[in-house]
Amino acid sequence: MTDEYAIEVRSVTKVYQSGKGEFRALHNVSLQIKKGEFVALMGRSGSGKSTLMNILGCLDRPSSGDVLLDRENLSRLTDGQLAEVRGKKIGFIFQTFNLVPTLNALKNVVLPMIFVGVPKASREHRALELLRRMGIENWATHLPSELSGGQQQRVSIARALSNNPTIILADEPTGNLDSKTGEKVMEFLSMINKEGKTILLVTHDPLLTRYTTRTIYLKDGEVSDRP
Amino acid sequence: MISDIFTMSLDALRSRKIRTFLTLLGVIIGTGSVIIVATAGNSLKVYIKEQWNFFDPTGIIIGVGTNSKPPQITFTEKVFTDADVKKIEGLPHIKGVAPVGIIAFKKVMMKEGFLKWQTKQGGTMWASTPELLKVLDLKLVSGEIFHEGKNEVLISEGTAQMFGKDTSLSVGDTLYVQQITGRILKAKIVGIYNSSSESNILSKLTVPAMIGPVDPYYTTFFGSNVGGLLRKVTAYTILYAAAVDTESVNKAQVEILEYLNGASDANKYKDEKTDFVFITQEYIQERIEQILSVVNMFITAIAVVSLIVGGIGIANIMFATVTERTREIGTMMAIGAKRRIIMQLFLYQSAIIGLLGGILGCIIGASGGAFIIQILGNYVQELGFSTSSAHLPLIYPMEWFVIATISGLLIGILAGVIPARKAAKMDPVVALRHE
Repeated sequence: MTDEYAIEVRSVTKVYQSGKGEFRALHNVSLQIKKGEFVALMGRSGSGKSTLMNILGCLDRPSSGDVLLDRENLSRLTDGQLAEVRGKKIGFIFQTFNLVPTLNALKNVVLPMIFVGVPKASREHRALELLRRMGIENWATHLPSELSGGQQQRVSIARALSNNPTIILADEPTGNLDSKTGEKVMEFLSMINKEGKTILLVTHDPLLTRYTTRTIYLKDGEVSDRP
Repeated sequence: MISDIFTMSLDALRSRKIRTFLTLLGVIIGTGSVIIVATAGNSLKVYIKEQWNFFDPTGIIIGVGTNSKPPQITFTEKVFTDADVKKIEGLPHIKGVAPVGIIAFKKVMMKEGFLKWQTKQGGTMWASTPELLKVLDLKLVSGEIFHEGKNEVLISEGTAQMFGKDTSLSVGDTLYVQQITGRILKAKIVGIYNSSSESNILSKLTVPAMIGPVDPYYTTFFGSNVGGLLRKVTAYTILYAAAVDTESVNKAQVEILEYLNGASDANKYKDEKTDFVFITQEYIQERIEQILSVVNMFITAIAVVSLIVGGIGIANIMFATVTERTREIGTMMAIGAKRRIIMQLFLYQSAIIGLLGGILGCIIGASGGAFIIQILGNYVQELGFSTSSAHLPLIYPMEWFVIATISGLLIGILAGVIPARKAAKMDPVVALRHE
């Protein structure tokens, strides 16, 4: 494990302007995630963890402060460049799987590779390989609606891995699964972490911290070491 | 990359078959109806043009009426005299002239047996000279030409059937015609001329039902004191002239008009308010173009309206699709899709619907057009042109197929722009939260 940071957050503040006043979702948040870590981000709803997740995922911009992904400062990037960063360096796993319903499992895994311009010849090969690693290569030609929740989440893990990202952002990946299937999914995440992938897991389930290497707590928009 | 996005658009359309089909239907009905109307219009155009070819390109019909647009011949004024005919015949670019006096009958009768008569109300005869057959390009199919001063007439093949097909008239039969004055005259049929062009729209002007000599049938005399002495003068309704060749029609027309407006008898006898009116092939073609331009306007109006309706249908469905797929759009943005790609994804879908709708509309319109032409064709036959060998042809307007297909594509793109922009401009955070 190197000491290189996958993500570095420097005093990030996020303020939402609402009709009458302003709402401070994040206040002077600073944190670092090293390459190879499996970090759990915990906090109650309203703690600001979704906001932090969106900023780390390049879906949103901080009001002030900087985010460095792979030592690259994201603050000055255009929308198009942010989209490129999302495609190449971030792998999203959602609570509701969010597979494209009109595409089969294989095509869903291929999709991020299309967006970043991977040549046609290599991407299907890679997608199939990833599905095999997730143990669902036999379901490659099935539509998401034909798969179980656990299978869909495994397809989305494969999709998150497709462009070999710097970090995987998993937002309550077990939230829509029964505990047994959830455990299975966590085992897969644990497996890819052991293979060297950096993972940030957003959850409010303390039981999941047994898979992770470190836990960051978020409370009222501020980072703390304890719940 | 673009082909991948295109394939994804196709996948999206395929996964919502019923919705895609219904949206397509809007475009198909639009372009289909345009093709049907355009096919019918084009076929009629060709048909009408063929019909007009029966009119001798060197022919000039001269009458009195109003030189409005289009000019009208009144057919009631009788102004042209034999002297005028002689003078016009002598003009340099004129090959021949035939005067025509139009006679209306009260009835036409035929003796069928002892005190038994077949009667037909109404009827017209053109009193003229044998020259008329040449000018109108009519050929005798049986018998011979009439003689001036004798009760002899020529009838058309169509007229030969006037008492029904069972009692068709032939050379040697005798008709009795009752004039407006009540006088009944004998009319022996000496010849029958072809009426293949009777279905011609101009047949009233180019194929008379019956032709006879001026004496004894034409009795429009009136007093004239030209030269101090009261004389009886015969005057005709219209003149049929033929120019020496096609190129000289205009020159001939100028010459005739110059003469008529000068010291002609016609100029003295005609009502001051009326003009001399000429009908030539050129004039007829202008009339056709006029009629057809209305047809074209009609097609264009249908095209515009139906394409707008189809476009609104596409836009409507695309808005619904974009709203419905909001979360999917957010997901795609999260996994690296740029706004341009989201835009393309939806634009391709609407473009595909537009293009496919246009193409299918052309196919359905082509078969619908063939069907309409069949019905119209039967109708034209039933209108009583059964002697005509000409039937309504099916001529596809190729340019409209191209226009319809391209318009379908364009309308698809246009209708898709705003929904696709809406999709591309979404905030991924908000889109991902969408239920």
